[in-house]
Amino acid sequence: MSARSFVLKMFALVVLLTVSGLHQVDAQFLHPKIQSKETTIRRVVVLPAKVNVVRDSMKGPEGMAAESDELSTRVAAMVAEVLSKNHSITTVSPTEPGVDVDSQKYNVADFQTKFDELLPRIMKKRSEVKKGRFTMGDEVLNLNLEKGTDAIVFIRGAGKKLSGGKTAFNLLVGGVPAYLQLQIGIVDARNGEVLLYTDPDFKGDPTTAIDRLRKALSKGFKKLPEVKDQQASPPKH
Amino acid sequence: MLPRKPTNLIVLALCFCVVCTSLGPVVLAQKKKAPVEATPPPVNAEFKFGEVDLEILEQADLLDARFERDGLVLLDEATNAYLRRIGQSLVPRDLKLERVTWKFRALRDPQPNAFALPNGSIYVTTGLITLIDNESQLAAIIAHELTHVMRRHTYLSNRSNRKKFLTINVMQAVGAYAPLSVVGAVIMAVTTVAPFIMMATMYGYSRDLEREADLKGIDMMISAEYPPEEMVNVMKLLNKDIEGENIQLFYNDHPALDERIKYLSSYLGARANTVTPQMELNRERKLYFQKLEPVMRHNVQLAINVGRARSAVYLAQRLVDFHSDSENLFWLAESYRALGPRAPQLTEKELTNSGKKEAVKLREKRTAEEEERDLLATPAGKDNWQKHQQLAEELYQRALNDENPAPVAHRGLGMLYEKLGRGADAVVQYEKYLEQAPAATDRERIQRRITALKEKQK
Repeated sequence: MSARSFVLKMFALVVLLTVSGLHQVDAQFLHPKIQSKETTIRRVVVLPAKVNVVRDSMKGPEGMAAESDELSTRVAAMVAEVLSKNHSITTVSPTEPGVDVDSQKYNVADFQTKFDELLPRIMKKRSEVKKGRFTMGDEVLNLNLEKGTDAIVFIRGAGKKLSGGKTAFNLLVGGVPAYLQLQIGIVDARNGEVLLYTDPDFKGDPTTAIDRLRKALSKGFKKLPEVKDQQASPPKH
Repeated sequence: MLPRKPTNLIVLALCFCVVCTSLGPVVLAQKKKAPVEATPPPVNAEFKFGEVDLEILEQADLLDARFERDGLVLLDEATNAYLRRIGQSLVPRDLKLERVTWKFRALRDPQPNAFALPNGSIYVTTGLITLIDNESQLAAIIAHELTHVMRRHTYLSNRSNRKKFLTINVMQAVGAYAPLSVVGAVIMAVTTVAPFIMMATMYGYSRDLEREADLKGIDMMISAEYPPEEMVNVMKLLNKDIEGENIQLFYNDHPALDERIKYLSSYLGARANTVTPQMELNRERKLYFQKLEPVMRHNVQLAINVGRARSAVYLAQRLVDFHSDSENLFWLAESYRALGPRAPQLTEKELTNSGKKEAVKLREKRTAEEEERDLLATPAGKDNWQKHQQLAEELYQRALNDENPAPVAHRGLGMLYEKLGRGADAVVQYEKYLEQAPAATDRERIQRRITALKEKQK
């Protein structure tokens, strides 16, 4: 093998690795039922997001509870906005009128915990969402959501904001930049199957980079098919 | 004699660092063996609030609000009032602490745990409330947490950690700009290993504070007429490790439970000799179970929801032993059904540290359904499943034969029969459930199951 062909092969390998690496970053995985359009998502309930950000300073990480709460609300609202604008998916409230507020609070909390239990397994083998491997079971029906709700959106995330000192330190010494990494799962509201998993992320201050967040979310749901009509899908078992 | 070759110098520096890192935790452990007789006063009176402390306080207040908003706080006024009564009996009278408002609450979490926020909020999880035997043990837990607040441990720990993080970062910067020479290599070696030593000191400090809280907790228990030896009994209960989750890591922020039992027993000494009638009363198991039975049931449900089936069986059995009414029998049946092909207790091998680590890795790889499927492919798994489904069926039947049968037992039986492939029997049970509980919140779910089973039968 000549030196030139070796260099070319290595270059091709690097390009291939880079492309596959990029694919990994923007990964989104759809359940076969969504791919084949057997299931269509028209109406969703976006459960409260749980996004935590910390401020990394020279003296270690500091909590940002207020900013985390604000960001959680913003991310949930923006997910609803992206689903509505780009995919014509309607968002409905998680609490149906007449349902006991306290028991619904427990119910939602328990399902959030259940998703937290499942999430590490999804993250370990994200591509297996495409095989329909993950489910939360038909217990999701106990959430007693509004009739015609097709799916439930779970949002988790973690981010880091850097202090001025830490930013300068990173420039000199290197280190992890400010970022936001989200994990979003869309679960069938009738049988608990994980229909979509996506993990959009971006570099930058998670508390202020609103446009980057919107862009990352739009990219994260790119593969989700757009709804053509607004009729509710028939119940499936 | 000093080594002359540069490489020897680097090797020497590396050896020094490795020895420091590995001996650090050992040295800190040795330090803990100092006499345990003297404990500091209950309140850290010299503490003055700084800007950093106020930031931590603000975070704590927000965390309180988040727990409430997210449905994690148990909304049961009777239980929270009970915790409050115990907590207030432990706090020294006329004690006024700056920026502390005492709040005692139960957290809906099946994992046994308790923690204190620096603003005076004390949380005990339903998992811990259900695991312990009496009010005195609950007092031991609260007394430990109260000490963290009264001695301002969170603030002190935060201040100490900030200094250490700064040192680590400075060391890293020095290491990054070390010259390309022998001296530079030595600096790099030292600065690479130094953060690990700093980490060891951070965890060492945290363990010291835990130890202080344990010992001061005993003093507070005695003052409030709670038998202090119950603190040791709590540690013994926690040491049971039903789920195999107490993993010993290289760095630990709490002393090992065996060690805690040892130093607490040594500290107790003659202190445990005085027994008052009130202390005897506070040790009563029956009274404790009577007060907290609804929380215990709720916790069994939470444990089943997150796949802690072994804990669920253990705790539900305690409930049935105390009071074998329809509802408790139902929860024990549910626990056995959730246990499925799993063994009710972990083996000795599974309870070793490496066994527990292995189990964690496996849990991350498999879903609960996949775990069941794999176990059912083994003879032991099949045996367990047969045994547990029989037990569950018997318990559901007993629950239904009770004076006040719980309709949910029909639902449980239906789910059991459905899993066993007895579709027609399952439909009968589901229909009975819906008939007896017309306002059930899971009505739609059961209705769908009936329809699906009927379609299958056609």
